[in-house]
Amino acid sequence: MIWTSSHPTSPESSPAADVMTSQAVDQNIVDRLVEFGAALREAGLPVGTDDVLTFCASVAELSPSDSEDVYWCGRATLVNRRDHIPIYDEVFRRFFLHVPEGAERKHTKERKAPQGSTGTINVPDAEPGDRESEEPPMVLGLQASSLEIQRKKRFSVCSDAELASVRRMIASIRLEPPRRQTRRYTPDASGAQLDIRRLARSAMSLKESSPKLLRMDRKQKARPLVLLLDISGSMADHSRNLLQFAYSMRRAAQKVEVFCFGTSLTRITPLLDRRNPDAAMRLASERVLDWDGGTRIGDSIDTFVKDWGRRGLSRGATVIICSDGLDRGSPATLAEAIEKLERLSHRIVWMNPLYDSSVGAPPTLAMSVVGPHIDEIASGKDLESLEAFAAMLPNIG
Amino acid sequence: MNASSFETPASVEDLQEQLRGVGYIADRGLGTASLIALRLSRPLLLEGEVGVGKTELAKCLAQLTGRQLIRLQCYEGIDTHQALYEWDYARQMLHVRALSEHELADAQTVGGLYSEEFLLERPLLQALRAGSNAVLLIDEIDRADDEFEAFLLELLSDFQITIPEVGTVQAEDRPIVILTSNRTRELHDALKRRCLYHWIGYPTASEETNIVSLRAPEVTEVLVKKVVASVHRLRDMDLAKPPGVAETLDWVESLGAIGADDLTNETAIDTLGAVIKDRDDLDLVASDITRVVPGG
Repeated sequence: MIWTSSHPTSPESSPAADVMTSQAVDQNIVDRLVEFGAALREAGLPVGTDDVLTFCASVAELSPSDSEDVYWCGRATLVNRRDHIPIYDEVFRRFFLHVPEGAERKHTKERKAPQGSTGTINVPDAEPGDRESEEPPMVLGLQASSLEIQRKKRFSVCSDAELASVRRMIASIRLEPPRRQTRRYTPDASGAQLDIRRLARSAMSLKESSPKLLRMDRKQKARPLVLLLDISGSMADHSRNLLQFAYSMRRAAQKVEVFCFGTSLTRITPLLDRRNPDAAMRLASERVLDWDGGTRIGDSIDTFVKDWGRRGLSRGATVIICSDGLDRGSPATLAEAIEKLERLSHRIVWMNPLYDSSVGAPPTLAMSVVGPHIDEIASGKDLESLEAFAAMLPNIG
Repeated sequence: MNASSFETPASVEDLQEQLRGVGYIADRGLGTASLIALRLSRPLLLEGEVGVGKTELAKCLAQLTGRQLIRLQCYEGIDTHQALYEWDYARQMLHVRALSEHELADAQTVGGLYSEEFLLERPLLQALRAGSNAVLLIDEIDRADDEFEAFLLELLSDFQITIPEVGTVQAEDRPIVILTSNRTRELHDALKRRCLYHWIGYPTASEETNIVSLRAPEVTEVLVKKVVASVHRLRDMDLAKPPGVAETLDWVESLGAIGADDLTNETAIDTLGAVIKDRDDLDLVASDITRVVPGG
């Protein structure tokens, strides 16, 4: 048997595993299995002692005749995500079949690259520094100016310090997602239906001779929100603020999913679940690879529809797309993608920093293509418009 | 057949063989995972594409072991009342009424209001009570809310639940538990850790031919092979909803229903609705039908 090859007894072998399986499996084998668990852990799989215990117990139960059985025992007990299967395969091959490291390493390396190679990622500074030369910051006096002025100031002309304070203010905007009716009922004095149950109960109580009519109405539940943020070059002035906005939203509502796109789509939802907004922002910007690049709105939305929308992520949700609509992709792709998205979601809101409520949206090709498919358009170019958007959000339907 | 007459197979091959006997072809990996789940009484979490036989495995295991299949279909907003138990409110009210009319309401009869008589069992409680006589299928767990997942944790780790008015109910023997997920969202790690995990992928062409032949024995092998080959070509195309094994079976049956004994471009177009369920996909496939069904 392959895995019994004489191996120095590991002092770290789990005592629990020993007890569990000592009758059925040789001590050497247990040590080897525990070591395999440790090797997996080293490779980055979340393998706990209890998992190793189950693994040993399953091997004891099956008393395997070849390494394939051991392989499948481990697959069932030590792996619990599909993405981890290639890593498991690689460690297994190295550990039990003695295939030298690196022989089949290619795909795992590729997998790890996006997380580890921060050095090559073009992460924008927390405060965009190189823009200062083109657009001189506003006179210093304004920085201490009243809130009112900052509220109407476009993000693109704010100085760094102002932007930082703007972000703090965004965090304080109250957000409430739109609501939908559920199947359940709740007591409601002005409800549409009689609450027969409560009515019967109160009628039965001997004290009340003439019961009041009791009513009920459908319970309301917050709709999920999906945010698609354009972080391409033309949106550079806004993307950090929108990210902050997304962060606040994620904290304010229960079901919020956040994606970034430029030339490709990245899901950043789990990265935003940090107490500290700066840490969350930093993580998110490390993950997203195409900061300040080109824009392919159509392809990005198409990817969203295929990978997430179809599976039900946006069903019944309010989808908020934040983009200036300056698209370098093909309009046909965009038209097709937005049409599919419309069918898969409840409402689509387009937040366009170039939009001005008195003039309307700028006549970009992308905006005219998506026009018939979106339900609302909002600006989000300055604090005031973000607040207006937050006020509009619960009433979208 | 009764539960005690079923003995857990000695080896993976035996289990595979027995499953084949009830019409389910499991590969080595799925066989191993199922056998471990049976032996260690652990829940088995199955993930995979749509229509690859996740739910079917639970049904076949129930048939094989002679146990009762108890199915809990999850959906958004499912709560303990639909999953676990509910008090039969209307009957309780009537009972109270009857008691008060005859002036029988004392501590004992009132206490009786929360007795078994008024307890409506829902699937999870049913499964706990049935214990080793049940296969519990928790279907499409990814559709339920996170809170429901947290609630399942207690059940899946100890196989016991607490009903405040009655006390703790514990399974004498553990039921077989199969969970399925279509991955519309990522499940919590805490839940996954309590389960064995298996990813069911699409079967190879020869495996799929075996499955279809087993399920639809009246169809000629030539036709089965042709259909399976076409389905595999469909899976290679960039479709929104690639067909699963269930669709392959539907397709073969649809061909039988219209009396076609060969898969040609024409019959394929006619019956395409059995295998492709999305309009955009239909257009794409119809425009390229000679690639899907070559030489026909």
